[in-house]
Amino acid sequence: MSPGSSRRWALAGLLTPATLLLAGCFLVPLGIMATYSVLSPGLYGGVEWEFYPYNYGRVLGAPLGDVEEFDPVYAGILLRSLRLAAVTVVVCLCLCYPAAFWVSRLPGARKNLVLFLVTLPFFANLIIRVYAWMLVLRPTGVLTRAFDAVGLGAHAPDLMFTEGAVVIGLAYVLLPFMFLPLYASIEKLDPALLQASSDLGASPLQGFLRVTLPLTAPGILGGSVLVFIPAFGNFVVPAMMGGAKVMLVGNTIEQQFLAARNWPFGAALAMLVLGIILIAMLAYAWRFGRVDGAVRP
Amino acid sequence: MTPKIRSLFVVPLVALACAMPGAAAAEGRLSLYNWGDYISPEILERFGKEFNVKVTLDTYGSNEEMLAKIQAGATGYDIVFPSVHMHDIMAKLGLLAKTDLNKMAGFANIDRAALRAKSDPAGEYCLPYAWGTVGIVYNAKKIPELKSWKQFFEYARKNPKKVAMLDDMRETLGVGLILNGKSVNARKPEDVKAAQEIILKHKPDIGAFTYEVIPLVQSGDLHAAHYFVGAMMYVLEKPDTLGYVIPEEGATMYQEDICVLKSAPNKANAMKFLEFMMRPEISVLNTIQQKNGSVNLKAMELLPPALRNDARINPPASVRAKLQIFEDLGKDLKTYDRAWTKVKTN
Amino acid sequence: MNGPPASRWLGAWGVGFLALLYVPIALIFAYSFNSNVVNMMAWEGFTLDWYRSILGLPTQLAKSDNYVQSTATLLAAVRNSVVVATFATLVSTAIGTATALAIARHRFRLRRLYQGLLVLPMVMPDIVLGIALLIFFVSLGLDLGLHTIIAGHCVFLSSYVFVVVSTRLAGMATDLEEASSDLGASPWVTFRRVTLPQIAPGIAGGALLAFIISMDDLVITYFIAGVDSATLPLFIYGILRRGIKPEINALAMLLLTFSFLVAATGLWLRSRRQ
Repeated sequence: MSPGSSRRWALAGLLTPATLLLAGCFLVPLGIMATYSVLSPGLYGGVEWEFYPYNYGRVLGAPLGDVEEFDPVYAGILLRSLRLAAVTVVVCLCLCYPAAFWVSRLPGARKNLVLFLVTLPFFANLIIRVYAWMLVLRPTGVLTRAFDAVGLGAHAPDLMFTEGAVVIGLAYVLLPFMFLPLYASIEKLDPALLQASSDLGASPLQGFLRVTLPLTAPGILGGSVLVFIPAFGNFVVPAMMGGAKVMLVGNTIEQQFLAARNWPFGAALAMLVLGIILIAMLAYAWRFGRVDGAVRP
Repeated sequence: MTPKIRSLFVVPLVALACAMPGAAAAEGRLSLYNWGDYISPEILERFGKEFNVKVTLDTYGSNEEMLAKIQAGATGYDIVFPSVHMHDIMAKLGLLAKTDLNKMAGFANIDRAALRAKSDPAGEYCLPYAWGTVGIVYNAKKIPELKSWKQFFEYARKNPKKVAMLDDMRETLGVGLILNGKSVNARKPEDVKAAQEIILKHKPDIGAFTYEVIPLVQSGDLHAAHYFVGAMMYVLEKPDTLGYVIPEEGATMYQEDICVLKSAPNKANAMKFLEFMMRPEISVLNTIQQKNGSVNLKAMELLPPALRNDARINPPASVRAKLQIFEDLGKDLKTYDRAWTKVKTN
Repeated sequence: MNGPPASRWLGAWGVGFLALLYVPIALIFAYSFNSNVVNMMAWEGFTLDWYRSILGLPTQLAKSDNYVQSTATLLAAVRNSVVVATFATLVSTAIGTATALAIARHRFRLRRLYQGLLVLPMVMPDIVLGIALLIFFVSLGLDLGLHTIIAGHCVFLSSYVFVVVSTRLAGMATDLEEASSDLGASPWVTFRRVTLPQIAPGIAGGALLAFIISMDDLVITYFIAGVDSATLPLFIYGILRRGIKPEINALAMLLLTFSFLVAATGLWLRSRRQ
């Protein structure tokens, strides 16, 4: 067997499982929902098999906006969700980057133990973890008591049911999504490189900006994607910690499939979400020439 | 494969083998699909023992969740517990099995007024299960006596973010409709719009739209919250801290029915279960545990007087006259969807 | 990083980070001794009964009026969750890693397409993927159960593993692999002896993440679960309106302790061997 053909076999072997899984269990469901998004809603949920593109008009407006009343509310919902997800990404990144750096510099055995300790809290169920944060943030909760204890009781912030609480909850729930890819990319960083840059007279800041940051960029990007996407669609945390007073993409789509019984409109919203993320990724790939930076020279 | 890698596969396989249902001792099966925590476990145990049937219970959180799942084609469930308007919808969609339960002997125990589904006036399909009101639960130490929605919203204005309403499109818009003296099944866009305006007007004072309020009301983090009669479970345990009221302006009521699905794999056992649930001594077990309204007249007689005579659970006729039940709105549901989206985004 | 002060700051940050992670866990622990039979959030008194009840010992709380016996259902749900998470993690880690390797180490025409496709399952809103998968499974004539949940989880978990392993592979030098293959090692031996040790932290991270996500998934699981295959999140969601019993806290603490002991023993054995 020539090396070329053996490489080709290896590639086929590596790709087959994902191809089967995606083609069967993802592309077919995606096709079902893409089709539903241009059908007319059934009176009691489900769909009527009648071409009906106006579900998109409700969000996008003309030229499809005349049959279904165009409503700018949905664009606002999308924007608000994007903003919340972006803030969550920034919070997670700021918390995790130094921490991942710290763990990666620990000596061998202790490193693995600490790495495990970082993920351990997330083995407790998500809903209880969120409840635990409510125990902290509610007006009679741990935070208020802590302020009382140091004599600042009057200044205790009432965070319960605010957007701040939503960000705290989302960031906490999604921390490992940022931490693990960051760690995977920081851990392979060679300290000798930093040493070399400092030997060459670079300040620590320059060393960080010129060496560390570019080399860990794949981890930052990977972690940001993994935090952004679930934060964008999540509605459990905004409902529990934010009091469900604002509509986000996740619960808007849920409302269409459940309470409003309008599956096609829900499917259309989902397709728009997929479209936005795809366009963002393509734009990034076009701007930086790569999606994950994992190109072999 | 190295032994280490092999053990990676063997361990889960053993785990899966253990997870497979063992050779069932019971002869048959019965699969219930019900709201979470909405049936006394003792009833399931007794039924299983008496008929030598393995009873399984899966749960859902709303009528719509259940409908979406059944509609998408999920099978294997025998019995569901839809609310009355959902019973009507499922009947229209042809999802329910005809049981002729009105020919069973125990049917005489059932309150005829509880045959509320328009699609099933004679009780040929589903057995009425239980009913209740949707009112306000409040912390009696913060608000000694709460009587009405008007008082609720006045209190909220003085104590912003200390009250909550349900995260439920029809219930919360329904409060707006009730305050305007309209039917909670109003179909006119202007009526729904007016209800939307009322909720929006009070929205800055409302802490949250949520169902999970009992612990927060009990701890004083919230002072009052829109909630259903299920609150009585906690009110009766902590009468000096918690209170429940059916507001003076009126309220919505709900009722669930026990329906056999057309796709039920164990229809014979499902029929036995309907008959079982008609027995007063069984029905009353559920009412004592759930502390809600009964539809079984004979079971009512067996109820401890304290529960039977509690006006918050079994209100007098004058209050009952002010209760409204949701109907299926068909196409007009869209009006509510738009109004609710406005409430949630403005 | 550079000299002691910076590394001291880093250490302080790391310890603070760990403390932040464990604040909620400390509260879950404290409230697992709450004797409130309905809701863990309202403190009523100290009891060990929740731990006793999980371990099958008789308890006092069972006599309370509002107590609903559900320990057996709860344990069944935990068992379902662990089985699903274990299988889904194994399968999706293998698939995600293989795909990441293919994309990082090979150039082929559909590379971009695969990259895009692999991210989409994460982006698809849960309820949409859940209902679509349900329709798909039903039209295949499958009975719903643990196997459908596992298959459904693999769809989106593979994407998460793919991203994490890709970040590890990104920019990683390939000279060692080339040297190994120049020396005549087969691709498998090269993978086993050279590539795998290098990317192991990425695979471990991806697998941990997959396990966590699988154990927590609610909405997709709701739709593709069948009769009697409820997982822990479904169980908790079912009782949410009534309130989360402290029993769930006790269970979470037992699970954490158990995972900790397993991992600590494993790490200890490994460090002894080296």
